[in-house]
Amino acid sequence: MSISMALFSPPAPNLRTLLSSPRSLPKPRLTLKPSPSLMPKGPAFFAVSASSDNGAGAVPSSAVAVEEQGEPKVAVEPAKEPERENGSVASAPEEGAVAVAKFNDSRWVGGTWNLKQFQKDGSTDWDAVIDAEVRRRKWLEDNPESSSNDDPVVFDTSIVPWWAWMKRFHLPEAELLNGRAAMIGFFMAYLVDSLTGVGLVDQMGNFFCKTLLFIAVVGVLVIRKNEDVETIKKLIEETTFYDKQWQATWQDDNSGSSKNG
Amino acid sequence: MASQSLHHHFASLRLRTRQPRNPSPRPLTVAASKNPPLPGRKLRAAVIGGGPAGSSAAESLASGGVETFLFERSPSSAKPCGGAIPLCMLDEFDLPHSLVDRHVTEMRVISPSNITVDFGKTLRPHEFIAMLRREVLDSFLRSRAESRGAELITGLVTDLELPRSSSSPYVVHYTSGGSKRSLAVDVVVGADGANSRVAKSIGAGEYSYAIAFQERIRLPDEKMKYYENLAEMYLGDDVSPDFYAWVFPKCDHVAVGTGTVRSKREIKAYQRGIRERVRPKIEGGQVIKVEAHPIPEHPRPVRVRGRVALVGDAAGYVTKCSGEGIYFAAKSGRMCGEGIVKASEGGARMVGEEDLRREYLRQWDDRYVSTYRVLDLLEKVFYGSNWGREAMVELCGGEYVQRVSLESYMYKRLVEGDRWEGVKMAASTVATLVRCKIMSGEMGRLKAIA
Repeated sequence: MSISMALFSPPAPNLRTLLSSPRSLPKPRLTLKPSPSLMPKGPAFFAVSASSDNGAGAVPSSAVAVEEQGEPKVAVEPAKEPERENGSVASAPEEGAVAVAKFNDSRWVGGTWNLKQFQKDGSTDWDAVIDAEVRRRKWLEDNPESSSNDDPVVFDTSIVPWWAWMKRFHLPEAELLNGRAAMIGFFMAYLVDSLTGVGLVDQMGNFFCKTLLFIAVVGVLVIRKNEDVETIKKLIEETTFYDKQWQATWQDDNSGSSKNG
Repeated sequence: MASQSLHHHFASLRLRTRQPRNPSPRPLTVAASKNPPLPGRKLRAAVIGGGPAGSSAAESLASGGVETFLFERSPSSAKPCGGAIPLCMLDEFDLPHSLVDRHVTEMRVISPSNITVDFGKTLRPHEFIAMLRREVLDSFLRSRAESRGAELITGLVTDLELPRSSSSPYVVHYTSGGSKRSLAVDVVVGADGANSRVAKSIGAGEYSYAIAFQERIRLPDEKMKYYENLAEMYLGDDVSPDFYAWVFPKCDHVAVGTGTVRSKREIKAYQRGIRERVRPKIEGGQVIKVEAHPIPEHPRPVRVRGRVALVGDAAGYVTKCSGEGIYFAAKSGRMCGEGIVKASEGGARMVGEEDLRREYLRQWDDRYVSTYRVLDLLEKVFYGSNWGREAMVELCGGEYVQRVSLESYMYKRLVEGDRWEGVKMAASTVATLVRCKIMSGEMGRLKAIA
């Protein structure tokens, strides 16, 4: 079955990664049809609903219907050019020109990833499973799909064993952080030694040095990027904000005490 | 002397914030000797707003012997609302089961990537989420308040005149039957909803609010069968950036809607998004009504001032995460009413701001602030981003999580759980969040490469 792909702006980058990345899916059978994500799939549907609305609803829904008529036209044009599977566009909507692109992958079977298709050297290639799921979620984020009762999605990330996550994500970062800590530690130990003459072993016995060590370790763990400092400050403010809102009425105690009766 | 007791109160508040969970010593204000007895009449109370909050307040006040006036501007209107109430409300408020339209026993939560999880395996046969029509519930509660002795006044309150001294009354100005009237009362309970006029009159301050938008759609019978006892909750940036979208079954139609706090202008786009996500299930349906309403996100800065107390939506008692408001409105109305009855000794004495704070606000905050805080935390963690939502749906698959969340929703108390299961749940929460965050990082990398 030939690979037919319609090129259109939003998921185009997606396609490039699929084609160029060495870890791309073996036989991408993505049949992509144009689909602006938040567009309704039926101007006709809205026409029906607009007529049956009561007065209150009529204005908003007719306004909505008017908007929609404009948009689908824009989307259809780019689709028409490289479209080889013209059957799909024509058949898709009885209603309008906009068709649905569904997530499609040969290894996505029955609402979850078929692990047998991820075999590499006799055991499951968990990295590929993670990649595939990431791609699926990315795809759906850009092209939300209607949920269907017929093929429910039942994938659960916990099927990927903990050591696969660890090996791929934790270890490289741990290496980085340990490296940073080691560099800082070596430099500080040298500096303190040259300034005070206290050797490394004796430094460790001192309470002040131990405190500095603790701060250094926590700092390396918590502040990994420059943005983290701001993030932490915001986080602290956020966690206490709601509480402040609840206590606000009690603060009034002092200021509003004159207003009684 | 008033300032002294206020000082005590503030001091006790300080203690509370430093030592959580330690009941601080209550200031020893002897209410009986402080409040003057009323000369030959009962305490008069006006409850503005006849929804669940107002009706419950009016019922408690009237049963307690206070002369109560309940104001409602349109008794027959159908409020735009999800219409779901927890099981405990049926018991606590003695609601007849005939009011319930549907018994929802299954809740489906759907993640941005359409991973679907079914809530409800842990429900026992007699447990369900009651769906009812607001107009049915509201009129039942109102007529019950009336039967207890509250006087129902159909009219629009236009202004609340504040008293000049501590013994003058509050004057409620309203229009009823085309004519302008006014009523003098001693105590006012503001239960007039998110756009509370009473709150404005006392300068209670503003709150940030979410916009909830919903369309009621009548489905063909076969499609309606799917939603017989099932409600759905959808998550994703396409349906809401900071809340969820829903499909709730009602008496003979479904309500499909969504809400948002920060992107109110795009609410129509989000509604289209949810319509899209549900498309195969609502195809062929007919929209019979479109409605929208503001939902408060947090309490108003001032909830009690003078002899005016705010309850329900007017006070901002809608929980985060679930957006539940009916139960808390009714409960706060009742607590406020009971507090006033107690402080006035059955309507015999005048009440003051101190009494309202002590008997109503303090009781309410002590009981429910932790609930609100937990839900706020959950909303921050799980609704803020797509990976948080994926993590939440995955966690909801776990049986222990389902049991704990459903039970705490239905009975409004933290159930004594298995400690080991709790630890496992905490561990799997962290693990799931880490996994989903990693995946989101990878997704971001994909975008960057391209």
